[in-house]
Amino acid sequence: MAKGLDIGTMNIICAEREGDDIIFMRQRNAFMKLDSSDLTKNMLDISKVLYIEENGEISLLGEDAFKFATIFEKDARRPMSHGIISPKEKEAIPIMKLIVENVLGQPKSQNEVLYISTPADPIDADMNVLYHKKTMEALARGLKYKTHTIDEGLAVIFSELSDWNFTGLGISVGAGLTNVTLAYLATPLMSFSIARGGDWIDEQVAKSTGLPKEHVTSAKETGSKLGKEIKIGSTEGALTVYYDALMTYVIQNLNRKLGEITPPNVAFPVAIAGGSALPEGFFEIFDKKLREAKFRIEISKIIHARDPLNSVARGCLIAAKTQEEKKYGKINLPPKKEVHNKKHTKKWRK
Amino acid sequence: MHKDLQIDDIPKSSGILYRGEFIYYIGSLIFGTGIASLFIGTAFIMIFPLHSKSDPGEIILTTMLVALGIALILIGINIMMRHTKYGKYIVIVSSLLSLIAVLIFVLSYYNNYWYYPLISYVIAFYVIGFSMLLGNAFANIMLWTIRGKTEIATSGEDKGRIYTDEEIQRDIEEATRKSMELVASELQFEISNSDIKNIKVGEAFYESRGTVTRVKDDMDESQTLRQTISPGETEKWGSIGLDKASVQLAKTLEEQTTEKKRFVDIKGRIIKGWEKFTSFLRLK
Repeated sequence: MAKGLDIGTMNIICAEREGDDIIFMRQRNAFMKLDSSDLTKNMLDISKVLYIEENGEISLLGEDAFKFATIFEKDARRPMSHGIISPKEKEAIPIMKLIVENVLGQPKSQNEVLYISTPADPIDADMNVLYHKKTMEALARGLKYKTHTIDEGLAVIFSELSDWNFTGLGISVGAGLTNVTLAYLATPLMSFSIARGGDWIDEQVAKSTGLPKEHVTSAKETGSKLGKEIKIGSTEGALTVYYDALMTYVIQNLNRKLGEITPPNVAFPVAIAGGSALPEGFFEIFDKKLREAKFRIEISKIIHARDPLNSVARGCLIAAKTQEEKKYGKINLPPKKEVHNKKHTKKWRK
Repeated sequence: MHKDLQIDDIPKSSGILYRGEFIYYIGSLIFGTGIASLFIGTAFIMIFPLHSKSDPGEIILTTMLVALGIALILIGINIMMRHTKYGKYIVIVSSLLSLIAVLIFVLSYYNNYWYYPLISYVIAFYVIGFSMLLGNAFANIMLWTIRGKTEIATSGEDKGRIYTDEEIQRDIEEATRKSMELVASELQFEISNSDIKNIKVGEAFYESRGTVTRVKDDMDESQTLRQTISPGETEKWGSIGLDKASVQLAKTLEEQTTEKKRFVDIKGRIIKGWEKFTSFLRLK
């Protein structure tokens, strides 16, 4: 068995196979502190809320922390910012260890292969992802997994561009960072990230509209539509403006970075994924902008990931499965079994 | 604004001439004294004017100044040079030979002992010293020239290339990144259990693994990926796999071929048109 893990600023997503299915387990990468009392604990246990208790304080974890923060109009604390472990959050590493443990579960076999997505170094911010990468590796290794890392952009390519022999440009628009990788026959030619993503958009929109950031995030994720025809004063107008700004910024930086390499003379398809690529109308605007941009490489096709949110985790799972098959030959998959909780079933392939 | 930097200087630290500052001052002083001495000696030849019947004092002074001047010039040059293994011994011996020859000449001429065979010994001493100083300087210059050319040859591609600030910064960042990765690859991060041992988890912690989404997916990408990464692995899926890899590679390169074909078509049309035009002119 192999697993793929996408450790993002907003979500931690684990992908694993079961029969002919892939199961994605997703948990918000957030926590929120509450005062501890027996009554609160009982209520949380009855409501099946994910929490931990330490030094007389309760920390709500994951999606529930986010929901409570929205209800109480408080800020959910985030263990990660800009794609890496937040230096401002002292409790970040133990909290993340617990969230990762919760999502990942225990390995089903000895030395089970696990691929973790890691961001590339940002080109517009003075920060290095190396410490984050090593810490994440150590977290997973602590759970007895045979851990490897993969660039987020390359994971998108593995997930979406197999029909092009893993040649193309993979863009993952995440919450903290936007990761870009150019690969030729599964070999990365260029990888970088931009220190702007969904969080940057939320901050800008919150500043412009005066709404709390969590409200903007919630509005963005629950059916916002980007486009030209927008109601006056709605968050969608501000979202469209800042999404447009982000796309222009990504395209400009991408073209600048392409000037530094000599890619092979082929037409590259582009795959776009990531949790911040979910709003309706995003793909149409990005597609238009990419086609209008005068790139240093030829673009053959622009592909919107079939499941943008889970695309990176799926790419990690493909890498892990490939690695495991290479090592042990073809693996026999375990039979299907029921998984608790909210369950959605959909067909990945068209 | 970019400040451009032209890389065309040979690093001074690695040059054969590299020495401490003090030795340059000493060498320059001796060289300068030699030039002055030669200049004064030559001036005396014209001032006195010097001939076979001239006063011995005038002959001694003039000859001494000229001979000493030539020797000092060569000694000064040799001192300023970085030497080969036995270079400095050659300089010391040859300098002593030259200076002793001049001293013996002065003493013997003054005391009226300037006769054969002493003359031949003195001249032989001086010529040997002079030749050794000259030879040593020549050898050092040749060595320096050869080494200088090697340095240029190794960086031939970069010669005359202009590096922008951005490129230099990028190279520095790349080197720093590689160095950090090397250091980090040797580190083993361990997460301490003491950080979480006081934590009690809620009942839902082991019951739920977050929001679960199940997707029907055969995930055949992993086989394609294996074939792409290791194209030689065909024994497990035989010619079908090979065909699939070929088809995929062809698809990747399809766009390029289409472009080339279009270019060849245009080129063909232009040639055809030119041929028609020339045959028309010939008929006319």
